[in-house]
Amino acid sequence: MVAPSRTPLRVDRLRALNLPRRVEVELDQHGRPGAIRDDDEPAQTSAGEHRRAIETIGEVWRVDDEWWRQSISRRYVDVVLEGGRHVVLFEDLTTGQWWLQKP
Amino acid sequence: MVSPIARRMAVRPGITVSQAIGLCPPLVLLEPDPVWYDELFAHLLLALSQVSPVIEPAELGRAYVGVDGLEGLYGGPERVIAEIIQAVSRKGGMAVAEDGVASSHFTALPPYRLGWGRGKFTAWVAATRARPGEFVIVTDQGRREFLASQPVAVLPLDPDTHRKLLQLSLRTLGDLTALPEAAVTSQFGRQGRLVWRLAAGLTTDPVIGREVPQPISAELDFPTPIADRVILSQAIGKLVERALKSPRRVGWRVHTVRARAALEQGASWLCEITLKDPSADQHRIAAPLQTRLEQVPPTGAVERLAVEFTAFAPGTTELQLFARDAESAARAGRRTALRAAVREIKTRLKRPLLHHVIEVHPWSRLPERRYALIDYEP
Repeated sequence: MVAPSRTPLRVDRLRALNLPRRVEVELDQHGRPGAIRDDDEPAQTSAGEHRRAIETIGEVWRVDDEWWRQSISRRYVDVVLEGGRHVVLFEDLTTGQWWLQKP
Repeated sequence: MVSPIARRMAVRPGITVSQAIGLCPPLVLLEPDPVWYDELFAHLLLALSQVSPVIEPAELGRAYVGVDGLEGLYGGPERVIAEIIQAVSRKGGMAVAEDGVASSHFTALPPYRLGWGRGKFTAWVAATRARPGEFVIVTDQGRREFLASQPVAVLPLDPDTHRKLLQLSLRTLGDLTALPEAAVTSQFGRQGRLVWRLAAGLTTDPVIGREVPQPISAELDFPTPIADRVILSQAIGKLVERALKSPRRVGWRVHTVRARAALEQGASWLCEITLKDPSADQHRIAAPLQTRLEQVPPTGAVERLAVEFTAFAPGTTELQLFARDAESAARAGRRTALRAAVREIKTRLKRPLLHHVIEVHPWSRLPERRYALIDYEP
């Protein structure tokens, strides 16, 4: 991170970092993520397979916030993908969709 | 350090001197002599470097020796260990330790402990299990069995996690590895995964040899011992200035600096500072030493004071042609180069492509709300 310049801060010029990305998640019989399918990642096999197994599940937590406007309700799961990549998955509990983010 | 007899009388590190004397009236208090310890350790490293070119000092008294490829020169582990013992004895009759990768637990007079094993962790655990003056060799075949019988206290964990392991009745590394790796990871996070793999003997961290810097030092003998901190502080400033003028320093910025003092009655004082940003500026180097002098002053009057640069970071040669101070020149150079790059990008692409990362809500529970990008305008 660098020190901010003297330019006054303008909210319209801000761009969010670490925006979540849509992924498909395969759940096991206990409802825990077992693998993800991420079409934005390079294919894992010559057949164009984008599936990555989840090697380890870390913490699981829930965030419910901003009920007074657009309600946010998420279940976060800290996982290590096969190959050692550490990411955070969350399920949007209002839509049922899964998203991937950097920790 | 507390001697075994004093320990038996309930003297523990961290208690006050009056408490210690109350518990053990015949107690003898010895002043630490960090300069001597440091010199002894430097001798040890020098001796080890005669056996292997790959030496990694881990902390005062512990060093790892990389022995990959030495079998052709010396023979099996026992022969390499014999070489190490011989080299250390030649250097001053004290101690070492080693490992296959080799780790050394070394104390001044009660001699070394040596551990041989694949990876630094195994070698270190083996060294801690050796009796003073002896060695323990852990073969690749016996590694898992050896580690499984060790207490969890050998794992590099904070006291809280240690306590949790004991509360879960996990007393040995074998108890820990009997659990699935995923379960330990789930309970203790990334640290849990790391220690599970260490305990299972799956992590073999190699010894990383370090370039031995040629230290630059400047010394000052006081005609009469000095206890005045103002004078000592000024002397440190002058010594830093003198050391910076050494021709060997040209092209390098100072990364680690230490001040050492010989005190009256044979004691010594030592402080070492690693600069966050390596510098060639006298005030930036001297200031942390002077602060340390204020916080932890020598316990007696100073007879001799020395400043020593022991680690360096490369400076930028081109910039040094125009500036006396490598750090400020490098900083100014980076800024100028950045401005030129921003101008060029704007001219070519009609829009800025360089951005700052700024904090928005760094403590937000939603990761995407924590930081943002904004156009960079120097």
